[in-house]
Amino acid sequence: MSDDREPDGGAVVGRRDVALPERVRALANHEFAVVVASAVALLLFPYLLIDGLGMVADAIGYRIGGYEGLPSLVLIYGIIVIGFNLLLGYTGLLSFGHAAFFGTAAYSAGLLSSTAQVTVPGIGATVGMPGIGSPILMALFGTGLATLLAWPIGFLSIRRSGVYFAVLTLTFGQMLYFFAIGPGGWLTGGDNGYSEVNVGELLGMADFGSPLPLVGTVEYAFIGLLFLLALTVANRIVNSPYGLIFKALGENEQRVEFVGLNVFRYKLMAFIISGAFAGLGGALFVMHERFVHPATGFYWIQSGDFVIMTVLGGTGSLVGPVFGALLFEYISNVISGVTLPVVGPIGSLWRLILGAAFVVIVWVFPRGIYGALADAVRWIVDAVRFVVWAARNPDEFVALVRETAAGYRRSLMARFGGGS
Amino acid sequence: MAVAETVVEILLNGLQQGAIFALLGIGLTIILGTMKFLNLAHGALYLVGGYAGMYFIRETTLSTGLLADSGVTDIGLGLGFAAAMVLVPVVGFVVGLVMEHYVAEPFYDRPETEQLLVTFGLALIVQEVIKGVVGGNTFQPAAPREILGISVGGPVTLPIVGSYPQWRLYLVVIALFVIGLTYLLIERTDFGLVVQAGTQDSEMVRMLGIKINRSYSLVFALGAALAAFAGLIGVSFQTISPQIGTEQALIPAFLVLVVGGAGSVLGAIVGGFVLGITVVTMTVVASQWAQIVLYAVAALVLLTRPEGLFGSAEVGE
Repeated sequence: MSDDREPDGGAVVGRRDVALPERVRALANHEFAVVVASAVALLLFPYLLIDGLGMVADAIGYRIGGYEGLPSLVLIYGIIVIGFNLLLGYTGLLSFGHAAFFGTAAYSAGLLSSTAQVTVPGIGATVGMPGIGSPILMALFGTGLATLLAWPIGFLSIRRSGVYFAVLTLTFGQMLYFFAIGPGGWLTGGDNGYSEVNVGELLGMADFGSPLPLVGTVEYAFIGLLFLLALTVANRIVNSPYGLIFKALGENEQRVEFVGLNVFRYKLMAFIISGAFAGLGGALFVMHERFVHPATGFYWIQSGDFVIMTVLGGTGSLVGPVFGALLFEYISNVISGVTLPVVGPIGSLWRLILGAAFVVIVWVFPRGIYGALADAVRWIVDAVRFVVWAARNPDEFVALVRETAAGYRRSLMARFGGGS
Repeated sequence: MAVAETVVEILLNGLQQGAIFALLGIGLTIILGTMKFLNLAHGALYLVGGYAGMYFIRETTLSTGLLADSGVTDIGLGLGFAAAMVLVPVVGFVVGLVMEHYVAEPFYDRPETEQLLVTFGLALIVQEVIKGVVGGNTFQPAAPREILGISVGGPVTLPIVGSYPQWRLYLVVIALFVIGLTYLLIERTDFGLVVQAGTQDSEMVRMLGIKINRSYSLVFALGAALAAFAGLIGVSFQTISPQIGTEQALIPAFLVLVVGGAGSVLGAIVGGFVLGITVVTMTVVASQWAQIVLYAVAALVLLTRPEGLFGSAEVGE
């Protein structure tokens, strides 16, 4: 009922009110505006997460504030899930093996920066690692190798779809995990993990951990810039004709094929792009943590975490998954340290909370947190508009209420008989 | 002699591992084949079976977890293995019925990806609940000493191998018996016929006037009971901890599924034993490469024979 009326009401309210959202929407489609807005958000983000929540924490007595380093971690995972979403959210391919690219990049970037001696088994030769600690080169090297790896893995996995694709990607990821922890131990450090990471100065002048006014640290600025770059690239892809085909693949693969496009090639490209994003994230991860273990690098749980973050955040939009990454890292790093009055310390229960949140999201809000928020905002905007309209046209509003009530009574009578 | 000894031992150990894989694979494959439902929580059923089995068989001392914190440190019924063999499948069956009704059914008509995601979340929840309640410790295997008065513990002398744990031989016999029974149930009974027909074309079965939804629940519960039974078999000779549900059950089950062919019971049995013997052989030959070869075999089959060894067509495409 109200749906029929509302467009009229909206038009009556006046064009001034409509014009503003239109302008906002036009701005949102403008790339430069998106980048500037994101940059501002990135500048404010650490203050909100650490100082803002810290104040709330002081007020309520629970330690729910963020800590230094958490914003960087969120952005690193944010980069990965933006890329992962290009695959899952747009082309509809569910990969359970993206840790392969994350881990490859983390290890290769770490190895590039190391100066350790490595003995190659079989030949027995001892090789010194290059010891190139430039963050930019480390990121390039890691991302490059991950991209190179994504090509053959994608080439083989894309041939199958659905669960077969998921299992194939999983098997490749797991093979790398068992290689890294077992036979490849001479290179990766095996179960001890790899800690020979020497991150050098950025552009030869700024130490990675040194503070930077306003921004926090050089590291955060570096990661933030790369996050902006990743977001911009993804935004361009999604809004390009090429990205439109990714979207079309997710909607109906058969039709894309009928149009005469090479489905395999587009899927493979989506896979490689998402692999590159995961690689960039992996290289940054090793710079941030200075340590990587086969379990954090390659294990399928890591791949599963990417899936959880992406779906939690929302697969329908570009930035949605970033909110998933934020929530995931926040729960796993901050909420896990909170002690509740009755339950006691949350500790390892955080995965239970996360699993429950995940199931609820999949079940009730298939579009994720971001989708749910967008729906809520739209609902509120509609409600406010309706109230404004009702206040300006009280007579029509009363008539509408009467009509609705009459319709409701009629439907009740039709269902339970008109006797009463 | 040494080579023959190794080969026989590999075969015996491979049969045990293969039996577990096969039991898991059968459950997963009939659920996928009949309902086109992908259950990533299948490993959680194995986990439930394993823990339930352990507590039915013996008393266990807890040191961490919610129960231990609230003062309950000794749990377990100590009923013995024979009782567990009856009770664990019943537990699995009931859990399966509940899961089918409350989790699977709402998702039958939703996209495959969402089925994977929701059951993935469920697997996480089950694992974390178990970890929270009884702690994340690794428990020692609960091998029985005697079943119904027959002594099954201790070593036994075999012709070529020499001394071998007697229980493990019984285990192979029991597992093969259950697998054979399931095979007959699917291949030789009316119920099995409906299930098989449902795998081919569930709509047609419904048109023939058969209440396939009831069969759906039964198939799901049967698959769950088999997974739980696999858990019981597993806990009787392997250690158990919350993470094995995914590591040692879910992932192998999926590998069995793709190797054997989705929807094929025979495929799951053969696939289970092929992978079981592969992984045990590789553990002996080059233990570091065992898992890598396991995954490589699965990937190779998937790439060369996408329908699996015994599947007729790809399910879930």
